[in-house]
Amino acid sequence: MTVLWLVPLLVVGTYIIVVLEEWVTTGRFRPVAPVFGGISLLGRESLVPRLPDRVLFEAAPGLLLVAPVLALAVLPLAPGTIIANLATGALFLNAALAYVMVALFMAGWGANSVYGLVGGWRFLGQFVAYSMLIVMPITAVAMRAQSLATTTIVESQTSLWNVIAQPLGFILFWLAAMAVCFLPPFDLPIAPHELAGGIMGEYTGDRLAILRLARLVLILTLSASVTIFFLGGWLGPVLPPWIWTLVKTLLVAAAMLGTGRFVPRLRQEQLVAWGWQFGIPLALTNILWVGVTLLVVA
Amino acid sequence: MGQVLTVAFFGLVALGFGVTVFRTSSMVRSALSLLGAMAAIGVMFLAMEAEFLGVLQLMMMAGEMTIMAIFMVMYMMDPGGLGQMEMTHQKRLSKGVGLTGCLGAVALTLLVDWGPTVASAPPPTTQVHDLGIELMSRSMLVFETAGVTILVAMVAATVVAIARHRP
Amino acid sequence: MTLIVALLIGTGLFGIGLYGAVSQTNMVMIMMGVELMLGAAMVNLVAFWRFLHPDVYAGQMFVLIVMTVMALEAAVGFGIATARFRARGSVEMEEAMELKE
Repeated sequence: MTVLWLVPLLVVGTYIIVVLEEWVTTGRFRPVAPVFGGISLLGRESLVPRLPDRVLFEAAPGLLLVAPVLALAVLPLAPGTIIANLATGALFLNAALAYVMVALFMAGWGANSVYGLVGGWRFLGQFVAYSMLIVMPITAVAMRAQSLATTTIVESQTSLWNVIAQPLGFILFWLAAMAVCFLPPFDLPIAPHELAGGIMGEYTGDRLAILRLARLVLILTLSASVTIFFLGGWLGPVLPPWIWTLVKTLLVAAAMLGTGRFVPRLRQEQLVAWGWQFGIPLALTNILWVGVTLLVVA
Repeated sequence: MGQVLTVAFFGLVALGFGVTVFRTSSMVRSALSLLGAMAAIGVMFLAMEAEFLGVLQLMMMAGEMTIMAIFMVMYMMDPGGLGQMEMTHQKRLSKGVGLTGCLGAVALTLLVDWGPTVASAPPPTTQVHDLGIELMSRSMLVFETAGVTILVAMVAATVVAIARHRP
Repeated sequence: MTLIVALLIGTGLFGIGLYGAVSQTNMVMIMMGVELMLGAAMVNLVAFWRFLHPDVYAGQMFVLIVMTVMALEAAVGFGIATARFRARGSVEMEEAMELKE
């Protein structure tokens, strides 16, 4: 029963994010554009490159779509509305997002093209950079909530949202979330002007439609996770809880889509260097800060 | 009943992927088959109600096996698998050793009396909480040793792999 | 019943891993065989924890340690493979005969 409301919610959410992305990046607001774009994409010829690794080439878009949908299953919309209230929900989110890396690797290798391969391999470097920065702020959030279940994490923010209680963790998680869904300035696997489309360059027709849809669901999932972990989920004064979750998620998605375009793309070695030399000590400082405040205040 | 079927099904999936690891000649497919075997093992952990371990296994193995795939492409002669290279040696010895190990373990499994099986496990929330308490109180020395071992391994791997600069 | 099924799956994975570790010529493939054997050991440990002693968390601790060992031996093994590849140009076991009489 509860699975049924996820599908229309996903469709509506991704539709709104497509319209948001075009509005934020180009300034044009065209609400009907995704329908025509989708129809034209599905109507195009679906080419397969020469000598692909057929299993990996076909499986990559599907896996990239399945991973964020699995992650969405542990994020709550309202106090009772969650598909799978796992006791280790925050960690399961992380596990599902790790398969985004596997999917992009498969897309890069399976297409038998140089630019795709380079894009996929550079995403591995990005993964090495952001993987610690995703886990450590979640650890700090779970310390405050004394549980890994996502509903308990939202309920622990009733007095004070985590964005104010753990600002350093919020900034690090925001940047790592942008790196997971490869938005600019972390769009190494796509790299429109440098790698001729990167991993998406060899996909056409209906497989490209699935790949683009998967990217949008990934953006929606990560915006929802930023909302749940740091911005108080469904907490808010007047409106019903599920409206608060949706509004906050879409505001986070608009901010992620709009802010990164003004920064030049980071090279992979710069990303790894900054992530490990600055990011991890800051994340550890955040955990120390949260531990001290928990022991002193409580 | 559902638990037996889930464990048996994903166990067979893991065995299938494990066989594919050594029978395919494409290196990337071999590494990703190992990922499939490890993911099936992770789902078996979830079916056996060890929720934290299952989720941890799924998360760690995704990153580890992809990195292994990249190293295979770096170091193997024929990563695409189109050249049909010969990659095994000691064929009869290896088959004999594998079969002996497997049959010995099967005999041990079926002949030993394991005692009465416990019907129910603690709920997942209690498990996560009690695992944390155990980690911090009784097994603290093990935890700290593991942490230091991880640090030593990181430093050792980096030092071994750094290229020397000839001045 | 589930205990026996899980243990038998563990034995199968162990046999495949042992075959792979002995038969392959490339160091990375040998490491994959070792990872399969450690995976089989973890399946056994979780089965023993769940069906024989579910309230003793030392079983889960042991599984965490085995997982840590899997990651660490992969890391150090790849470091050694990198050094060997730089020195000799391949990581094949058949060509590693410098210490042989």
